[in-house]
Amino acid sequence: MESNMETLAKPRKRSGLNFNIALLVILVALILIIGIRNPTFLTYNYMMSVVVKNIMEIGLMALPMTLIVITAGIDLSVGSIMIFSAIAGGMVAQSMGDGMGILVTMAVGIICGLANGLIIVKLKISPLITTLATFFLFRGIAKGMTQGDSVYSYDFTTAVGNMEFGGFPLVLIVFIVAAVVFTLLLSKTAFGRSLYALGLNENATRYSGIKADRTLIAIYVISGVICALAAYFYLGRFSSVKFDVANSMNLKVVTVIVLGGTSILGGVGDMKGTIIAIFIIAVLNSGLTVMNIPIDVQTIIQGTVLIISLIVYSILGERAKKRRILDVSKAGGPGSGSIEGGAAQTPA
Amino acid sequence: MGESKSRFKKMLTTEFYLLIFLVAILVIMKAAAPDFYSVNNIMTVLNYFSYLLIAAIGMNLIIITSNIDVAAGSIISVVAIVIAFVGKTGAPLPVFLIAGMGTGLVLSWLNGLFITKLNIPAIVATLATTQLFIGALPLVVEGSIYDLPASFTWLAFQAKIFGVIPASVAFAAVITAGFMLFMRYSRFSKKLYAVGNNKHAATLTGINVNKMMVLAFAIAGPLYGICGTIIATAGQRVTTTMGNGFEMTIIAAVVLGGTSISGGSGKIIGTVLGAFILSLITPAMNYIGLSSDWSDAVMGAIILLAVIVASISTLTKNKKVIIVPDQGAASPEAQAQTAPVGTAAPEVK
Repeated sequence: MESNMETLAKPRKRSGLNFNIALLVILVALILIIGIRNPTFLTYNYMMSVVVKNIMEIGLMALPMTLIVITAGIDLSVGSIMIFSAIAGGMVAQSMGDGMGILVTMAVGIICGLANGLIIVKLKISPLITTLATFFLFRGIAKGMTQGDSVYSYDFTTAVGNMEFGGFPLVLIVFIVAAVVFTLLLSKTAFGRSLYALGLNENATRYSGIKADRTLIAIYVISGVICALAAYFYLGRFSSVKFDVANSMNLKVVTVIVLGGTSILGGVGDMKGTIIAIFIIAVLNSGLTVMNIPIDVQTIIQGTVLIISLIVYSILGERAKKRRILDVSKAGGPGSGSIEGGAAQTPA
Repeated sequence: MGESKSRFKKMLTTEFYLLIFLVAILVIMKAAAPDFYSVNNIMTVLNYFSYLLIAAIGMNLIIITSNIDVAAGSIISVVAIVIAFVGKTGAPLPVFLIAGMGTGLVLSWLNGLFITKLNIPAIVATLATTQLFIGALPLVVEGSIYDLPASFTWLAFQAKIFGVIPASVAFAAVITAGFMLFMRYSRFSKKLYAVGNNKHAATLTGINVNKMMVLAFAIAGPLYGICGTIIATAGQRVTTTMGNGFEMTIIAAVVLGGTSISGGSGKIIGTVLGAFILSLITPAMNYIGLSSDWSDAVMGAIILLAVIVASISTLTKNKKVIIVPDQGAASPEAQAQTAPVGTAAPEVK
């Protein structure tokens, strides 16, 4: 307790900022190195249509996943939810029109997220196992419905998937809006603070009066909604999808989140780190392609990036954790009673 | 003692339910599709069951120590390529089998060291090494190794017990029996459970927790090696992706078998039943006339159902035990937190 009070008195999150600045430096350095080796990389067109566009679905899904990982959970089913909702919507749109397709995609996303949340929270099954099982289940339903065939894009998804404003893709605008919303949600609201509390000590959080069940279910539903959102863009961008195209997407999302400095053990992390990490992975992916490095080497490089970031964070982890606890208690203004205060405002 | 007796009862019923489920599937298949019991199909099922079970036993040890290994599939891919290299020279089964087991041992042991030395959660650590293994393979091999000699495929095609039963079944039987005895009687296995149940308590009783975890990975490695050998020798061509994704099925078999993912519990017999049920799903659906496209969905549903049943029985048990003061919902949750699904110390002398 004393040491906590001491840290509270110290100046605010120096190290937390440093992590993100370090990530930012890495990002800029990568862009410069690749840009010097191959100047086409730095053109506006390439940046927008290749670098950014290819990562956006993963980027979108990484936002709610950050919330989930902060509560010490994980959602391995994100890729499956996206594909399932895209395929269900695409099939319905063929026979009943675009409107129904749009609705069905979103409904599937919400139902899948709700199913995950209810099983994890109400039946007390670990998020890892639940979402591993639903990873199979959702992908399996998508496979069964399509008999393994492709499903094609419809007018609405083709439009949103390829819409650009002067070379600025719609998906990037949606991502920016979502990123701002999620950043504020995590850092400025009582809801966000309760997520840290849940990740640090779930029992204590429950006893402090936070409606833990509702909060946890909410973030898995949010994850489902964002997956459905990503599904529109994904289906539109590729014009046809099969059930197995997103098999490793969950692992890519986890890579982004770990690189962004969120601890897989929960309670530590922030949205800005995730957002910078998304662009680091994007630059790495397309940068290596533009430099003609084979795709297998890219897999190795991504794995190495993940390993290095794991090592760095494990070394610096303990200190960071202390500081982030400080962030949590500071975020909502003065008073260490903020957690109890937050309970009353926790949104449904 | 009364408590431990009731827990023992619970452990029995988990496997009991699985057994009933398994028998139900078999009876239904007998009624719905007698062809299912053709010798050919039974042997195909048994072969798949064998290599799934061998890998699942290794995974079971890892999960008992409250870790998880998502690199299992990629290790199997590496093993397949390594033994293809060795087997291409015409080397007999024992030579490339040992090469495969050695490869599995080294890679899995590295995973274990990585997790314990750097104190990184197993799921992300093995996720990272998966990417390394999968990425490295195509650099070494262009697509696939083909035209493998008859000595390589000997295990799959010629090595039959009584002329029908695949030799892989004998492998699985010996390994399963060995590990059942090992888990029942060795002091080492008690330590594994202790580590999975409560790391700190285990440390305090003088167990070297990190060493136990590394050993669990090191034991699992050669088992992946055997599994990879059985998978790879099924044809004259070995590709670089033969095991990719198989880790999910392996984990599913272990979880279905009643091993809690939070560690400290789980029996080999449960894993045997879990692996057997999973290896029946796809062929059973084929023979009933359902499209096998639905088999992934059915597999997901079965795993989910199994963990839900286990969880509900634990929850209701806990509600009986705990007197809840105020917050009706909160206390059983708190209990579930400290004593997750089936965390019974499984071997109470």
